[in-house]
Amino acid sequence: MAEKISQKSRRDNAAGWLLNIPYLAYTLVFFLIPLVWAIWLSTMDWNMMSPDKTFVGFKNFTDLLHNSKAIAAFVNGFRYLIPIVILCFIFGLLLALLISALPEKIKGIVAVLFFIPYLTSGVATSVVIRFFFSYNSAFNIFLRNRLHWDIAWFQNPTTAFWIIVGIIVWKMSGYYALFLLAAIEGISPDVSEAAALDGSVGFHRLIHITLPMILPTLTTVIVLAAGLAFGIYTEPYLLTGGGPNNATTTWLLEIYNTSFTSFKSGSGAAMAIINALQIFVIIQLITWLMNKLNKKYGV
Amino acid sequence: MKTRSKAKTAILIVITVILLIFSLFPLFYMIFQSFAPWDQVDKAVVSSRLTLRSYRYLLGGSGTDNAWMWVRSLLNSLIVSLPTAVISVLVGLGVGYSVTKLKFLGRKFIYQSLLFQMFFPVVILLVPRYMMIKPLANHYSGMILPLCISTWAIFMYINYFVTLPNEIFEAAKIDGLGELGIITRIAVPMTKSVTVIVFLSMFMTRWNELMWDMLVAPDIKMQTLNVLISTQFRSMGNFPGPMYAASVLLTLPIIVMFLCASKYFKEGISFMLK
Repeated sequence: MAEKISQKSRRDNAAGWLLNIPYLAYTLVFFLIPLVWAIWLSTMDWNMMSPDKTFVGFKNFTDLLHNSKAIAAFVNGFRYLIPIVILCFIFGLLLALLISALPEKIKGIVAVLFFIPYLTSGVATSVVIRFFFSYNSAFNIFLRNRLHWDIAWFQNPTTAFWIIVGIIVWKMSGYYALFLLAAIEGISPDVSEAAALDGSVGFHRLIHITLPMILPTLTTVIVLAAGLAFGIYTEPYLLTGGGPNNATTTWLLEIYNTSFTSFKSGSGAAMAIINALQIFVIIQLITWLMNKLNKKYGV
Repeated sequence: MKTRSKAKTAILIVITVILLIFSLFPLFYMIFQSFAPWDQVDKAVVSSRLTLRSYRYLLGGSGTDNAWMWVRSLLNSLIVSLPTAVISVLVGLGVGYSVTKLKFLGRKFIYQSLLFQMFFPVVILLVPRYMMIKPLANHYSGMILPLCISTWAIFMYINYFVTLPNEIFEAAKIDGLGELGIITRIAVPMTKSVTVIVFLSMFMTRWNELMWDMLVAPDIKMQTLNVLISTQFRSMGNFPGPMYAASVLLTLPIIVMFLCASKYFKEGISFMLK
């Protein structure tokens, strides 16, 4: 018997490690080594080509305090975070509630249709948005001739910023709606029936039954949207270059430019670390807040 | 009562249709502009006549110094995305199965390592990864390798395998099936819907990748379609027609793939929440 067990566990050990070799090798080469390297790099002044590297300690980090672009990226992290999380939450929830109220037959296809924007590349949407809002487009000619609105969409910090927020919300809402829809559909029929018997309908039911029941999924959606807000790159890169006046810039854009356009690899690595810390703190804060809500109102 | 609920359903459907028109408008706009004659692009949502000129320009290979570059970039996108999706599925399947169903020494360690990576911002690794992969610049391997394994994909499999009863796998072992047999004859068929979702999602993510491909493959012959559109974006500003057509070529294959597989999604999404 003992021999059998050891034979079995030996077989499990061999197979287990064999199946995990690719993952472990990848983690070592493309995760652990770059991680140590990044921390080392952040204390260096090096242009990635010359043989001279100088150790500068925390100078790369303290320099960021005087770097207007880095400060803009830090602040914009919050400026993007707040509207994107709120709007994705609202539209995702509204879409999910709408789809769940539709007849069973068409639910699936409608959910898939709302999901399509999620599949589009940021590059393709940027092409459409760029030309749609260009000076001589039908849309802008209409605004000028009929409404006498002459808006240079990408030269105005406010409109440029909101166009990018709009693209992200448009792209993600249908995706988050899918999560929320699954959660709403997952509420057990017993609960729904009891609620109906108690006369809990409409808004009352939404606040007292549906939302508390799907609170864990709402948390997931909010955390995902927050993470996403810090990963914006393609749209500002193609549409505004981070301008005007750094109004639309993001960490990713600045890290890319600092590292690969200005070749300040140490400064770029320092930016990436600060960015990661900012994301980490925000996500922890949101999770903590949602857990509190969950304890108070969840089921 | 019945007529009231019918009226309610009708109103809901009308609202849905209006929202769908808004939601899909950018895509319709893109498609119609790609078929518009070049002097009518962006002048109307639907132009007075439709033409294939933009597509002929891209796919006809009539370029001057970089003939066929658009066709080439489309192939590059495929060459990069397909192996990425396949490797993600294979690794996800292997790790997912072993971590949940095999009691081997170190499974906890691997699980912890996965959790740590899942929530780790990859942006920190960008610069060092680029320096490491520089010798492979403008090679497919340099584009594929650093992005071919996804912790998300692995977790999709882990979460699914957890829901499968251990008895199935134990019984197969007692019947004398080897590890390879268990994977190919039991694990693979049972995880079909996860595999479809992981494959398509990884294919799409890789297909839509911009920053890494821009860094690693700046050579115009190696650019993916996504990168080529970005690099031609400014210089082609006066020829929006072909840019719209290129965007359609970029977007449509992904949408068609997902629509074809949409029946697997309902099953998949409900356990993604766990």
